[in-house]
Amino acid sequence: MSGELEGLLVILCLNTIYAYGVFLPAASGQLNLGAAGFITLGAYCSAFVNSELDGLGVSAWMSIPIAVLFTAAVSFLIAFPILRTRGVYMVLATFAFAEVVAGLIINLEFLGAAQGMPVDAHMPFYGLAIVTLLVALFCHYLMATRCGLAMRAIHDDESVATLFGANVRMIRVWAFATGGALMGLGGALYGHHFNYVEAQNFNILLSIYILLYVLLGGTQTAWGPVVGALFFTFVPELFRYLGRETGEKWLEDGRFVAFGLIIVIMMVIRPEGVVTRTLLERITGGRRRQPASPAAAE
Amino acid sequence: MDVLLQQVVNGLMLGGVYVMVAVAFTLVIGMLNFLNFTIPALFMVAAVMMWAAMAGGFGADIDAVLDDVLGAPNKWIAGVIIALVVVSLASLVIERFTYRYMKAKYGDATEHALPLVSSLGFLIAFEHLVIGRWGSDPLTIDSPFGNASFHLGAVQFSIPQVISLALSLAIVFGLSLMLRKTRLGRAVRSIAERPDTATLMGVDVGRIVPVVYVIAGLLCAIAGILFTINYTTVDAYIGDKVATVAIAGMVLGGLGNVWGAIVGGLFVGLLEVLSIHFFGASIVKVPIWGMLLLILVMRPTGLFGHTAIGKGKF
Amino acid sequence: MDVVLRVSRLDKSFGGLKVVDNVSFDVTRGSRTALIGPNGAGKTTVFNLMTGVYPIDHGAIELDGRDITRIPARDRVAAGVSRSFQNIRLMPHLSTLENVMLGQHAQARSIRAQLFPLGFARINKWAEQAREALAKARLEEYPGQVVADLPYGIQKRIEVVRALMAKPKLLLLDEPAAGLNHQETGELQKLLREVSERGVTLLVVEHDMHFVRTLCERVVVLNFGRKIFEGTPAEVNADPAVREAYLGSNQSMGEAGHAA
Repeated sequence: MSGELEGLLVILCLNTIYAYGVFLPAASGQLNLGAAGFITLGAYCSAFVNSELDGLGVSAWMSIPIAVLFTAAVSFLIAFPILRTRGVYMVLATFAFAEVVAGLIINLEFLGAAQGMPVDAHMPFYGLAIVTLLVALFCHYLMATRCGLAMRAIHDDESVATLFGANVRMIRVWAFATGGALMGLGGALYGHHFNYVEAQNFNILLSIYILLYVLLGGTQTAWGPVVGALFFTFVPELFRYLGRETGEKWLEDGRFVAFGLIIVIMMVIRPEGVVTRTLLERITGGRRRQPASPAAAE
Repeated sequence: MDVLLQQVVNGLMLGGVYVMVAVAFTLVIGMLNFLNFTIPALFMVAAVMMWAAMAGGFGADIDAVLDDVLGAPNKWIAGVIIALVVVSLASLVIERFTYRYMKAKYGDATEHALPLVSSLGFLIAFEHLVIGRWGSDPLTIDSPFGNASFHLGAVQFSIPQVISLALSLAIVFGLSLMLRKTRLGRAVRSIAERPDTATLMGVDVGRIVPVVYVIAGLLCAIAGILFTINYTTVDAYIGDKVATVAIAGMVLGGLGNVWGAIVGGLFVGLLEVLSIHFFGASIVKVPIWGMLLLILVMRPTGLFGHTAIGKGKF
Repeated sequence: MDVVLRVSRLDKSFGGLKVVDNVSFDVTRGSRTALIGPNGAGKTTVFNLMTGVYPIDHGAIELDGRDITRIPARDRVAAGVSRSFQNIRLMPHLSTLENVMLGQHAQARSIRAQLFPLGFARINKWAEQAREALAKARLEEYPGQVVADLPYGIQKRIEVVRALMAKPKLLLLDEPAAGLNHQETGELQKLLREVSERGVTLLVVEHDMHFVRTLCERVVVLNFGRKIFEGTPAEVNADPAVREAYLGSNQSMGEAGHAA
């Protein structure tokens, strides 16, 4: 595998994990524009716990789970106040949370302040790929459970979901906290792969991109985040590649402009995201409908 | 004491920029319940247009034309015109691709995010248009007005800044007056309160909404222009850095509340400058966004308790 | 008489306006009762009070001998009361089967049931149960389809099936026949009779008096939040207070008179 392709796949893995972290709350109808904050927490926590020189010197086998638990705990705690807000307010509150985290980290000397922090243990690409696969499987499983069904029901109509017995508040808190934990995991893996963490890299643009992966991929099924991350990771690269091959430099320079415009156009043609329930049903429908009622071929 | 007073003055001057952007945000959110993330982009575009006109960013040919027509010291006039025209046109395009998603089809939770997504798409596109043309490094100008200033006691007032603050407050007050007194203003408020009824009463929603977008865009554009003149350094991400702070000001004043946005904008300006003064530049995000977080959680209606999302108590 | 629902002296005001005023009535087990009245009489509010959408001001609601007045909305369905809605409130992005399985939520609150992968294992007791219920309602041909695309009449019946999945002692139906054509109304009525025969008690808010007379054996009439009549459908038209209520309002006996 060429280095370039591997680099791209690393980004894809990280993006997919981040996207699942935003997807879980989004599937239950909450928009999280603070991904960067959770990623920062996970990255720095694992870096600090793992570091021989400045931190606790614990092995990466432990530091990554510790980072995940730490991010989960923080997300769980802030979920209660943040989930009192909704809609635009929640977008703003999560956004503000991420900015506060970034602002705090760059002032903590023991975390290297604005210079960032080296990370000792290295996580190779295959490790990253395995974890990504596990995260994807976990989210697919979660969405297939009754709990996942309740999340999707809450997304569509929370008062009716309540009337059928769903504990809306708890489900939302858990979705938010589990999502936070996944983003913490992503951040920790980022640090261990690149062996350096720097708060400036986890900025508002990252949060925006991740929210876009999820909303463009589609919040109705667990395929959405993968498709969104794939799309967002490869489309700019495709433009870059085309630009280089054809010698048309504007394709390479303008790839993000085109990309922004593609987002706008996507909202026109597929406002519910690329992957919707109806699409999946159309792909697998014939096979699935058969056993229920052969007469219903219509 | 004098140093502190000077900081207060500087904070209010910076607040003047935030006020305009906060009012732009609040106008769109109050009317359409839409957090318009193209506002930072429009702010940035105007600021960069201003820079480009003054620093020859449009290329030698255009620069020569500007030199001939206006003369070197007056090129800022061209910047103002270009910025206003570009932003107005951009606002109209943006309106086409965001307003149409305001009508809920299923009423589910992520539906209202659709215009937000489109606006983020525009934000990315605009930022990279600028990066593609001028790169992502800081772009600086020499202030066309030099260091013109006067003193009141020990406090120094920069003349362009004082004019900017006065101008932005005048524009915002004028806007508020317009919303209250003119037919257009009444139409805007009626749409904000009851879009369906407004349509029945003969208000042409399809024509008023673009006007509101352009007004919001022009507010950001003027803010961007004044920012370039007063602070002389801009870059492609200036919208993310500066205009998002205005969001904090808007929330402080209560979403959809124009007067709240004025107070909130001035307050975040003060808060920013004073935090830098007392705690250093690196910490500045914490008080501003921490305050926003606290307000959202404790008192989401803002300080004045007039939330008016989609209800437009302008 | 075996009472399954006892509503006593129910009060509810919204901002000083009394919407439900001292309403009491009983519903016997296995019966089919209609709750009727002119627009704005407070019928849907009574439903909302029973299911816990709003807290009540005064009074008590007893379900099968248990006081459910103070328990939160999400626990009422487990206590045995489930409902359909005036405007269809199916989850637009869930399939028919998933919507119906949502009705089982209160039956499946253990961690194990919550974490059971319904979506992976196509054959499982929950899905079987839901399919069976759909089949009984003659809706078996739409299990996988997203409900937003289905016809109105079908959606109305899916709502009834969903509410039934909660195994309610009392099923509240808010204008089940509204907006249905003649044939769809017939299908619905047939379904409701079958449900009733299985022993589920029905309480129906309905404007269509023909529907009420053919389905229900008992009628409670509300006007301006007060109960003005309780009796059989045959008696209801003869009652002067009811005639007054309908004639006095702008409904000009449209519904009540039509039935006479």
